Amino acid sequence: MHPEQQDWNALSDEDFRAIFRDWVDANCPAHLRFMRKQRPVFDEVAEWYHALARKGWLSPVWPQEWGGMGLNAAKHIVYVEEWARLGCPRIPDHGIGLTGPLLIEFGTPEQKDFFLPRILSGEHVWCQGYSEPNAGSDLASLRTSAVREGDEFVINGQKIWTTLAHCANWILLLARTDKDAPKPQNGITVLLVDLTSPGVVVRPIPNLREEADFCEVFLDDVRVPAKNVVGQVNGGWALAKAVLGHERIFLGAPSRPEYALTRLEMLAEDRGAFDDPAFRSRYAKLRLDLYDLGSAFERFAKVLREGGTLGADVSVLKLFCSELYQRITEETLAVAGEEARFYDDLPVGSGHVDAMNLFLDARAPAIFGGSNEIQRNILSKAVLGLPSR
Amino acid sequence: MPIILLDDPDSTLAMLRDSVATLGARADGAATFRRRRAAAVDLDPETWASMAAAGWAGLVLPEAAGGMGLGAAELVALAEALGRALLTEPFSTLAVFPSVLLGALDADIDALAEALIGGAVLPVLWQGLRGEVRPLALADGRLTGEAHLVPGAQSAQVFLVLAEEAGEPVLVSVEAASAGLRVHSRPGIDGATLGSVVLHDAVAGPVLARGAAVTDAFDQAIRMTRLALAAELAGIASRALEITVDYTSNRVQFAKTIASFQAVQHRLVDMWAEAEFACSSVANAATLADQPAAFAQAVLAAKARAGDAATAITRKAVHLHGAMGFTDQCDIGLYLKRAIALNATLGQPEELRLAFLDAERAA
Ligand SMILES: Cc1cc2nc3c(=O)[nH]c(=O)nc-3n(C[C@H](O)[C@H](O)[C@H](O)COP(=O)(O)OP(=O)(O)OC[C@H]3O[C@@H](n4cnc5c(N)ncnc54)[C@H](O)[C@@H]3O)c2cc1C
Repeated sequence: MHPEQQDWNALSDEDFRAIFRDWVDANCPAHLRFMRKQRPVFDEVAEWYHALARKGWLSPVWPQEWGGMGLNAAKHIVYVEEWARLGCPRIPDHGIGLTGPLLIEFGTPEQKDFFLPRILSGEHVWCQGYSEPNAGSDLASLRTSAVREGDEFVINGQKIWTTLAHCANWILLLARTDKDAPKPQNGITVLLVDLTSPGVVVRPIPNLREEADFCEVFLDDVRVPAKNVVGQVNGGWALAKAVLGHERIFLGAPSRPEYALTRLEMLAEDRGAFDDPAFRSRYAKLRLDLYDLGSAFERFAKVLREGGTLGADVSVLKLFCSELYQRITEETLAVAGEEARFYDDLPVGSGHVDAMNLFLDARAPAIFGGSNEIQRNILSKAVLGLPSR
Repeated sequence: MPIILLDDPDSTLAMLRDSVATLGARADGAATFRRRRAAAVDLDPETWASMAAAGWAGLVLPEAAGGMGLGAAELVALAEALGRALLTEPFSTLAVFPSVLLGALDADIDALAEALIGGAVLPVLWQGLRGEVRPLALADGRLTGEAHLVPGAQSAQVFLVLAEEAGEPVLVSVEAASAGLRVHSRPGIDGATLGSVVLHDAVAGPVLARGAAVTDAFDQAIRMTRLALAAELAGIASRALEITVDYTSNRVQFAKTIASFQAVQHRLVDMWAEAEFACSSVANAATLADQPAAFAQAVLAAKARAGDAATAITRKAVHLHGAMGFTDQCDIGLYLKRAIALNATLGQPEELRLAFLDAERAA
């Protein structure tokens, strides 16, 4: 256990919030607050990453025996809220949020001993290799193959949209190990793959904001030791689903629309838009949408706080949140008027508002993490129980 | 698919559409967009020269001044085709605006008109930092002040300048190479830079017009340019819809084309309806060109409608492309960016709708 650890869950939320906030505010470097980039690469935030690791606060939900804080869902929500409120940068967190929890729940003792400390030290930076060119919304149709040869699996195929793969050295891979499974979901295996292995090629794909953020990952006869399989061969689908758990609430966390609204407010103040009753009315609508997103988020957080588990209905947060983010950034371009012709940031008072950057960024959350159409499909079946014929 | 339907008795419109298609096939619009953006310039000289060679720089310049002297219908057909082909050189602001401005004057414009027709870049300096009308100061034949949101500022040979002298609006020109004139550029969302032009005691050419003649020429230029922008936006809207219908009809997920899902079909139908309305609104404006009061209103409606349609359609189009739509290599994102830029040029929809209402209630 890390020396700075204690039983955080025994504190009140308020006490924990105060302790966490004070330290983070004092230690997160100013130049990393409210970064323009949604996904900085490891080197840009390494200093902050290592500071968190030294403090033992890098991985909020891992058990303390593995170097985490061992937070329950309620305290985790506080952690995420304060993080966003203080404008801390998103760190490359696939190791902390995805690979780590997966291994803690399903990994072998050897896997845990080897990988978990290396995530905390920053030696291993992970990315998520699920999507393929022909397997997006229909992830279960993925075709990248892993074929057993002695003590190894030989991997062939292609992943795409792999966020930050160009700065990662390990990939959590979903691969097909049974082409003939009666249900495609039942022929998928989770593998831990070293991206520096021979046969791996990673190519960044510039996104709508002209940034290299997601990548293509080509795998050509890549050899992976069989001990790098997580859980059962052909049992990967259930693992990939299980690891999401209470974290699904964060797809609907108000931080992005909240930040975007502060930018809209800055621009509107500077351009005198609040003198316009029509704008005030539209702004009030957005403001109260955000306010009520907070209430809806609380309603699901309460379930977690009381030790419950989330149902499919939590998807409603992701829908509302991603669409609100879009509406706020669209209104910001409207306030920008003729200045919405600019690609770069708009000067306001002594600072800048990244109106176009946010508008373009807001296209993404409606697509990733299960597109909004897929979320609606899930809600219609799992919540409303609508007939399928 | 939606198109701006106009009478075409002598096939002029068809000819114009064909010639745009020919240029589009030669000068790949998307590639030119990316190249221009990478070079951080205000236009692609080669494409601009081809457009001038085709006669489009002087399309709406009166025949007496050496232009083609064509009207609203031809302008609309051409601009719509440019929008569809993603030919994103600043046609509306660098060909239509100065042509109409000069054509409205009762002055000797021959030299300027000849330059314009030949492909010279003659941006107009008249807007302030936020796009408001902002004349420069003219005193003793010298210009001082600054203008913003200027297209073609880096490539300009001559600027046409709205200035104020002794409390009266005047129109003058100034050589781009003049002492006392500086240009700063910022990247635009459609891959072309926009300039800020700062003048300090720069020597102006002779006064081309004064007083009401200037205001009137600007009114006409703004109106025709808005019409061209509306048509280009309508073209972008219908082409983005086509591309998306095509993409979703070929993209397979869950062993079906995604366009076979009803949720996607309904979205596409809504997009189509928006594009239809945009096209009919622009067609309406084009047919009213010879009735000044009605035309003014119709142009406001058309630019607002087409701007809303193009931005909404291209946003939805990006979404329906999934992660592919969030890449820079997929052309649909360029349609979105171009739509944002044109929608924001010469008034966003709300401002135009309010202007429509004000005029109607004042009448
Ligand atoms: C910024 C970003 C980062 C990403 N990072 C990663 C990552 O790190 N790792 C990773 O593995 N993946 C990542 N992804 C991929 C993401 O998971 C996929 O984009 C997503 O699953 C959608 O798949 P697709 O892009 O292939 O779109 P498609 O599945 O082709 O969908 C295209 C359109 O069709 C709609 N559609 C599809 N099916 C239906 C249906 N049944 N009913 C109605 N509409 C439907 C969709 O909503 C969408 O609008 C990322 C994506 C983005 C945009």
